[in-house]
Amino acid sequence: MAPALCCNCKTERALIKRPKNHAKLCKACFITIFEDEVHHTINSSQLFHPGEKVAIGASGGKDSTVLASVLKTLNERHGYGLELVLLSIDEGIKGYRDDSLETVKRNAVQYDMPLKVVGYDELYGWTMDQVVETIGKKGNCTYCGVFRRQALDRGAKMLGIKHVVTGHNADDVAETVLMNLLRGDLARLSRSTSIVTGDSRSEVKRSKPLKYSYEKEIVLYAHHKKLDYFSTECIYSPEAFRGSARGLIKQLERVRPTAILDIVRSGEDMARLVPGESPSSCACKGQKSAVVPSLEDDIGGCASQNGRTPGGEMAAMDKQLRENETHEAVEVDVARAISENKAGGEKEKALPIRSSHGTSRGPTRQVLGNCKRCGYMSSQEICQACMLLEGLNKNRAQIQI
Amino acid sequence: MVESKSSEPHLRLCLKCRVQEATLDSRSQPVCRDCFTKFISTKCIKQIGLLGKETRPPPPSSGGGPPTGTRHYLLGLSLGVSSTVLLHLLNENVEFQLARGRNVPFDLTVLHIDTTTVTPSSPSSPVPLSPPHSAAKKSLEAYRAHYPRFTFLNLPLSTALSTSTSTSDPHHHSGPNPASNPPWPHSSSSTTAAGTAASRSDVTRHLTRRALQTQARARGCQALLLGHSTTALAELTLAEAAKGRGFALPWVVGDGPATPGLGLGGDGDGDGDGDGDGDGDGDGDGNGNGMGQGDKERDRLLVHHPLRDALRKELVIYAGLVEPPLTGLIQADKQDEGPVVSHKDLSIEEVMARYFAEVEENYPSVVANVARTTGKLVRAGREGGGESCGLCGLPLDEDGDERWRGELGIQEGSGSPTATRLGRLCYGCERSTVG
Repeated sequence: MAPALCCNCKTERALIKRPKNHAKLCKACFITIFEDEVHHTINSSQLFHPGEKVAIGASGGKDSTVLASVLKTLNERHGYGLELVLLSIDEGIKGYRDDSLETVKRNAVQYDMPLKVVGYDELYGWTMDQVVETIGKKGNCTYCGVFRRQALDRGAKMLGIKHVVTGHNADDVAETVLMNLLRGDLARLSRSTSIVTGDSRSEVKRSKPLKYSYEKEIVLYAHHKKLDYFSTECIYSPEAFRGSARGLIKQLERVRPTAILDIVRSGEDMARLVPGESPSSCACKGQKSAVVPSLEDDIGGCASQNGRTPGGEMAAMDKQLRENETHEAVEVDVARAISENKAGGEKEKALPIRSSHGTSRGPTRQVLGNCKRCGYMSSQEICQACMLLEGLNKNRAQIQI
Repeated sequence: MVESKSSEPHLRLCLKCRVQEATLDSRSQPVCRDCFTKFISTKCIKQIGLLGKETRPPPPSSGGGPPTGTRHYLLGLSLGVSSTVLLHLLNENVEFQLARGRNVPFDLTVLHIDTTTVTPSSPSSPVPLSPPHSAAKKSLEAYRAHYPRFTFLNLPLSTALSTSTSTSDPHHHSGPNPASNPPWPHSSSSTTAAGTAASRSDVTRHLTRRALQTQARARGCQALLLGHSTTALAELTLAEAAKGRGFALPWVVGDGPATPGLGLGGDGDGDGDGDGDGDGDGDGDGNGNGMGQGDKERDRLLVHHPLRDALRKELVIYAGLVEPPLTGLIQADKQDEGPVVSHKDLSIEEVMARYFAEVEENYPSVVANVARTTGKLVRAGREGGGESCGLCGLPLDEDGDERWRGELGIQEGSGSPTATRLGRLCYGCERSTVG
């Protein structure tokens, strides 16, 4: 039997079965097609403009390494005219960053890009090791994620860069979509799917050029391009709840490889269906948001940990929802009348008093402002990083006493 | 305190009536059997009441007098737990109303769409029924005996997709005549030809849904009732999202009007088999919608899920509690909970079912939250405006399609034969028929 030929060039032997759609490709065609698809994403979303200075959020892991490599290649091939810089965050986790930062340093040489490393200690006065010492291993990923997001932005600001690209891949985005459906968080669902986050208000724009790239293909690309990356999970992550969304996505991918992209597509489409208001029509909104971690960022946790919710959080949310249900039992008719009015458009059904009541009290829309302490964009008076820091610092004071 | 706990555990009283012994655990409250069954039926009756208001027959146009019309619903019966429990509760509701000397609240036709039988390719009889020996037919006999009040029908999928109803409905003969409009030609072939288990399952499910709506319209029903539990709706939400139909989710999961354009009479009309053989009141629109504007109101169909507030595990318990238990009627679940042998043989729906069985056990409120959240999404591609998918009948997403081109490396203009036969397909159906 003749060996299968690459279905693209039809001359070379097919060596790779694409995880995305099971197409059989040769090595060269796979690499070209992978790059072309990222180029297509960049083009169609108009991510960059010529002369733009772009920081690549680099962890030394596969995603950011592939991102750096692809961007360098495309920048040269298609003449984007970008000035690329590697930006790394040192969370201060011993044994985790020491090695991966070495990788990033080598990458900087390999790709001939300047590198900037920003530490949590210089930004917040706390390393992650110290945070874990204080609050324990449970829930520390929230701290890490919140701190990291700001860290990248602040690092970029230090360098005078207004655009940070991150290595979030299709699996990450799909996971976030499912996670937010499970959490019932429409606001974040609509935010998380967009390729660019941060609007004119925020000083630093963020984008994910690998949004449509499969994690498996990123690994394949790194492998076949013989990229130098560091593969280890965050040493604290095994303690965290293995997010059910991620497990679910892996299963779906096995059943139907395109499922990941299909979820991304669904997420994008659903984002357009989210009514332009706070999803909760319930007045006790504050109560709810106390449970759902109101992270400012679209994707929680750290890079290897995206969207994973600690088990305790899921249980706590379940409990809170159950309590809400018992409270809502009394008001369910009003809620239904209003929501039916909206959904069915049958205005004659809702009592005028009720509907006007509903709109006047109106679900409050999240208004983006800036944190009073650090100036970072936030919908609250004080941003989440500062809130978390406040808690940490209180604890530290007590310990010292 | 401590004593009573350990030595007399049977003294645990139902938290609701505080009279009977609590033998069950309902939403982390100890309850007795009676309170539990009441809890489930209340959840259903509440929804039926809401639907009743929406389908209130109009007052007679000429002269006074009471409303003349009766509510007529179609229940989709899968022979599984949820739809059987729904049937039982509807029957209970009718009996309750009759016992109070009131009128029958609604007429109910119970329809089972048989997806296991394949109609012969050249139909010799214009109205083919299921082969006499099919398992479904046997089961339906048992149902009929159990609920003699309702009309039971069993139609193969391919037959049910065409608008021709059985001759028993002379007053509503809107479709083209059956002989010139052969039973849906693609259903049997597409269900068997579609490549993977996931695709087969997806196509079959959507065609079944479409068939139910077609039949409900053809029989002049105001509403189609589906037995989805909270858990099933959550599964449906994530499954449809995973199949790329996020855009159409509100149409699938929410209660409300069915997608327009589902009256397949229109497909027949569009195929050029002559417009004159319908009843003439607006068959000429030929835009694939099929519904003449004149009878738009008459053909307005609601889709409701009266069990949307009950978890699947609760329905399973309920089915075993009523007298006599419904478990004898219910067909055994095909998906066993055994380990997955091959993912190739799994469908997306099965993956979701397994996943949510676990979530339901540990975080029931999270399950409920999923369906509730999806209910808040806006229904896009509304009546009149947008086109519908030729297969599942859900609205097409022009903007999304436009934006998406190229992301998967889809070759432009790869017009599949399916696409030309059925008209345009939505993203999800394209996945299931081509990919």
